[in-house]
Amino acid sequence: MRPLLSLLALLLLASCVSLQISEVSDLVISDQQVWQGEVRINGVVRVTRKGSLTLLPGTRLVFSKFDRDGDGIGDAELFVEGEFVARGTADRPILLTSGAANPQPGDWKFLYLDYARKAEIEYLISEYAYSGIQVHFCRAQIRSSEFRYNVDGVRFSTANISLKESYLHHNRHGIRYEERGGRGVVQRNRISDNQIGIFAVTRGAGRTLFELNDIIDNEPYQVKMGQQQAAALDFPRNWWGNVSGLSAETVFDQRRDWSLGRVTATDPLDRPINATRPTEGD
Amino acid sequence: MMKVLRSVPVLLLLILCVANMAFSCVGKSIEIGTTGSVQQEVLANIIAELIGERTGTTVKVVSFKSSTEAHAALLKADIDMYVEYTGVGQTVILQAQPLADAAELYKAVKERYNQELNLIWLKPFGFDAAQSLGVTLPAEAAPVVRKDTLKKFPALARLINKLGGKIDQQTISSLEKEASNGQSKQVAHGFLKNNRLI
Repeated sequence: MRPLLSLLALLLLASCVSLQISEVSDLVISDQQVWQGEVRINGVVRVTRKGSLTLLPGTRLVFSKFDRDGDGIGDAELFVEGEFVARGTADRPILLTSGAANPQPGDWKFLYLDYARKAEIEYLISEYAYSGIQVHFCRAQIRSSEFRYNVDGVRFSTANISLKESYLHHNRHGIRYEERGGRGVVQRNRISDNQIGIFAVTRGAGRTLFELNDIIDNEPYQVKMGQQQAAALDFPRNWWGNVSGLSAETVFDQRRDWSLGRVTATDPLDRPINATRPTEGD
Repeated sequence: MMKVLRSVPVLLLLILCVANMAFSCVGKSIEIGTTGSVQQEVLANIIAELIGERTGTTVKVVSFKSSTEAHAALLKADIDMYVEYTGVGQTVILQAQPLADAAELYKAVKERYNQELNLIWLKPFGFDAAQSLGVTLPAEAAPVVRKDTLKKFPALARLINKLGGKIDQQTISSLEKEASNGQSKQVAHGFLKNNRLI
């Protein structure tokens, strides 16, 4: 009886491994799924509140470029309300990218965490999206990841986010956030070569700590306040690219529009942190 | 290729469902109409760039052949706003008698648009549109916005009104000349940057 059960288990395992999917359209995940390899996504993948999606090291999600609503932004997306665990490794990062021949920012929509029950991300690269990742109304831990060639690299609102040791570059906005009572820690990241390094859109009250980051070469603005950001914000202990700290010319705040709050950058570092560039290359 | 692995001991259940669910969009987006002239393109792009840069909202500029078409699209909520001229609003849209005084004309169209059409005239840009368009009808140019758009975006009126009185005759002529090669977006961006509005 025992050998028979073992054989049955082996057959089951073999059948699992042989179930290979390389392409999905609109998909709802309400169970526990583990993906690896390459998957082309031609629609909206939604992980429901009951569902769980784990991406193994080296997984590549390739989002097709299509625009259902004609707003000029790609509509393929990964939308998570349940659990999302994406732990790559330095050698085998997880890649979320565009399937277009000539990829551009906004080819696909986003990785969107909305009231997600669990969100743990390490060594993930997200590129050519409208938002490399959006986090709303939930906790998320993001470490050693890379967000590049997106409109928004990392975007969050009303979230409890931990963003560490990651590299955000060549996005329109490196980080775009609406604090709205949320709390966050943004530490030891390199935020460089974006048009706007940090875009504080509205309702920021200093509950998100940005410290020990290298925030450099974001032009025209290292830090920009959005239209309704009336409170002052401090960005302490960061390296701004020179020993004199954050230059007023690279800030859009009260000095340009009296209705906005003022940006300060107390205790600027006098040398780079050399925040890691964890997943360069793919 | 992807391999789907399950840790559940006995049963493997793979559920692939097709669902035509349209999730919430990237954010709320705004559409601005233009009626084809270089002046219209420049003004629409100035508003679009201002909104996009200051709020992060996605803004799309949509072309129409005439004020009448743009107005119809505005009423149907196909667009959120476009730049209209007070003279056109008074005589073409409202089919009312022309008024000689610019301030009275603005007040008249603003009031009737609000009461009868649920549309809001924001502050005029500041140049004499009749002169700039080479017509005799006294007119000012100003953004006309759907009332429900202003409710959805409470900060929008205050933001767009920053442009009120900022574009005089010389400035609009200069902007039109710069944008005549089709670079309205870039010209608009430069104008806003030079005026420290973005």
